[in-house]
Amino acid sequence: MLRVSLRTKLALVSLVLLVLPWAGYRYVSEIERFLLESQRQSLLATAKAVATALHERPRLMRLSTPLRTVTPAAPTISQEAAREGGVADGTVAPVETAVPIPVHSDRLPDTTPVHPEKELASLLQGAERGDARFWVVNRDLKVLTVVGSLKSAADEEVVTGRRWLAWLIQPPPQDFDDSLDKAAQATRPEVTEALFGAGAVRVRKTRDGRATVISAALPIWAADNVVGAVVAEQTTNSILSVRNVAIERLLILTLTVFAAVALVLLGFATRLSSRIRRLRDEAEGAIDAQGRISRLAAGSRAGDEIGDLSRSFSTVLTRLGQHHSYLESLASRLSHELRTPVAVVRSSLENLRMQGVSQEAAVYVDRAEEGLGRLSRILSRMAEATRLETSLATQERERYDLAAVVRDCVEGYRLAYPHQSFDLRLPAAPAFVRGSPDLAAQMLDKLVSNAVDFSTEGVAITLEVTMEVGCQRLSVSNRGPALPEAMAGKLFEAMISMRPASGGGEPHLGLGLYVARLIAEFHGGRIEAANLADGGGVEMRVMLPVA
Amino acid sequence: MAKTIAIVEDDPAIRANYADALRRQGYEVLAYDSRPAAMAAFALRLPDLALIDIGLGDEPEGGFELCRSLRALSARLPILFLTARDSDFDIVSGLRLGADDYLTKDISLPHLLARIAALFRRLDALTGSPPPEEVIERGDLRLDAGRFSVTWNGQPVDLTLTEFWMVHTLAKHPGHVKEREQLMRDAQLVVDEGTITSHIKRIRKKFLAVDAAFDRIDTLYGMGYRWKADGA
Repeated sequence: MLRVSLRTKLALVSLVLLVLPWAGYRYVSEIERFLLESQRQSLLATAKAVATALHERPRLMRLSTPLRTVTPAAPTISQEAAREGGVADGTVAPVETAVPIPVHSDRLPDTTPVHPEKELASLLQGAERGDARFWVVNRDLKVLTVVGSLKSAADEEVVTGRRWLAWLIQPPPQDFDDSLDKAAQATRPEVTEALFGAGAVRVRKTRDGRATVISAALPIWAADNVVGAVVAEQTTNSILSVRNVAIERLLILTLTVFAAVALVLLGFATRLSSRIRRLRDEAEGAIDAQGRISRLAAGSRAGDEIGDLSRSFSTVLTRLGQHHSYLESLASRLSHELRTPVAVVRSSLENLRMQGVSQEAAVYVDRAEEGLGRLSRILSRMAEATRLETSLATQERERYDLAAVVRDCVEGYRLAYPHQSFDLRLPAAPAFVRGSPDLAAQMLDKLVSNAVDFSTEGVAITLEVTMEVGCQRLSVSNRGPALPEAMAGKLFEAMISMRPASGGGEPHLGLGLYVARLIAEFHGGRIEAANLADGGGVEMRVMLPVA
Repeated sequence: MAKTIAIVEDDPAIRANYADALRRQGYEVLAYDSRPAAMAAFALRLPDLALIDIGLGDEPEGGFELCRSLRALSARLPILFLTARDSDFDIVSGLRLGADDYLTKDISLPHLLARIAALFRRLDALTGSPPPEEVIERGDLRLDAGRFSVTWNGQPVDLTLTEFWMVHTLAKHPGHVKEREQLMRDAQLVVDEGTITSHIKRIRKKFLAVDAAFDRIDTLYGMGYRWKADGA
């Protein structure tokens, strides 16, 4: 299963904040649209003002120079313009020879007494702005004069300062091709419209497509006739600059906010998940390997849901603990409580016998006493673990040789289990441990009795004491059925038995190995059970620290 | 004159059964079901032996209380605890309060009767009409099975009847290993196997109190105990 931590999830959720810059960008785009619109309007207004200044002055609309005059300043432009113009529109073919007079009209030879270009230029100069270009075209589609430039010096400074953002925000181009293709320009729709008497605004790209230009064209009237048109052009670079600055600020601001919020969220998530993790660890550790139940501490006073969770965990654990101790004490309480009725039965039977019973009745009294004896054994087994637990509390520990105890015990087992052979392997040196030799013998009793019960007939039970790093290892292994997987961890718990239920015989309450575990723990060691490597038997291992 | 035995036991069936059995043996039996009833009677007249249960009705430790009061009335009166409680803690508490023995209800009636008879014999030995001696001597140990008295190096060792019988069984055949079960049977013990260890421990302590070098009782792990013969 894919594991995604709470922190990661919250971090992912916080990505939603990235919508902020997007929304901001939309807003800036909207503003940009408004700005463009107002730029169009203002450009139109400017063009109108210029046109108004040129109304009723048809004289200015006449060309003063010979058509063939070519200004040395822009020869390439003119030729190119002428070529393109010719290709673009065959109807204005004659125009290709009509190269207009450039801005510096004073350098041009005066071929007419009046200098309409000069006058025009000086008129237009008044309307000129930093980044706008004006030109005037007459009815013959001849460009009469051009004033101003589309490029402004101010923009460049803005751009250089923000170079680091250039990869993200396209700076307004400064090196666009602002050449004026006069012939082509003059045939553009807004110019044509203006010459038909209606003002128009149009947005177009520069010839190299790098910048956007707004051009507004308005007719120049003389009486009721259109004698020419004024065209005002301006790039959108200033708006782009403003937009870029806005986007840039927006980016910086939202990214800062995003980073700050993400940090806060991350911190919060970290704290939250660490609390939950602590709670989890505590919950897992609340029931230790011995099955003892402790209380939780994490966040138990916190007023939030995690605190609630921890408190309900605690409550559950407390109840579980109560139930657990009830179960633990059940055996001893049961044995204690049952003792009195057993004593009643026993003393009654004995009274009966003392009174003298007939031969026939004696059989039943015998049977009753036999059953009673078995019942008593069950009761004392039940109490054994509890009795051991209480006596462990007061038991003194001494240093003794585990190997010697095992040697003695095995001698006893050879007597006690005449049909079972034992294979004893002891180290040459004494195996000192700290604890109680009596208890160790009791533990070995349990392990051996267990091994004998499960051992294959005729095969020896191996008892071995070996020295390991820091501990003495006592192992009792027998050939026989392997442990079922499910029993692996439970074998040493109280009331767990894997013996098949058998009628009669010795009672098995699953306390033997539990007693063994208690004793191993009393020695500061541990006990474990494992199947033999070939699966043909079981090995019980007790590890006791070296004393 | 018949000896008087007082039974203080809250369970009527057990009380009646024990009373019947004791009466059959010729004892005079007085049965009480609670501590106040027993104390009221004892204030008037002391029995010759008291058989007390620890839990009495709603007094879980009533027997201990009673034992203490009785001991205050008479230092000699034999007191036997007969109870369902068999933890080491209870046994030690009971014996410390001055009881002569501590028996669990697992005991059979014949065993109980034997105990009572033995206690009376021990009492008689102390009060002047000495029963015949049945002495076993093992080096420094002198056991009188008739009077239930033990001396070590001539000094008396104060053993309870249970402990006496255990020592008796062990010392009868020095060097022989007595398995726990055998020990229980011979000693008319009615303690559980598990408590034998603590009984042996108490016996050792009592001997050690008299002689710090005492080491005659040998533990053979997994088998049982034996009395080490002299020079062994």
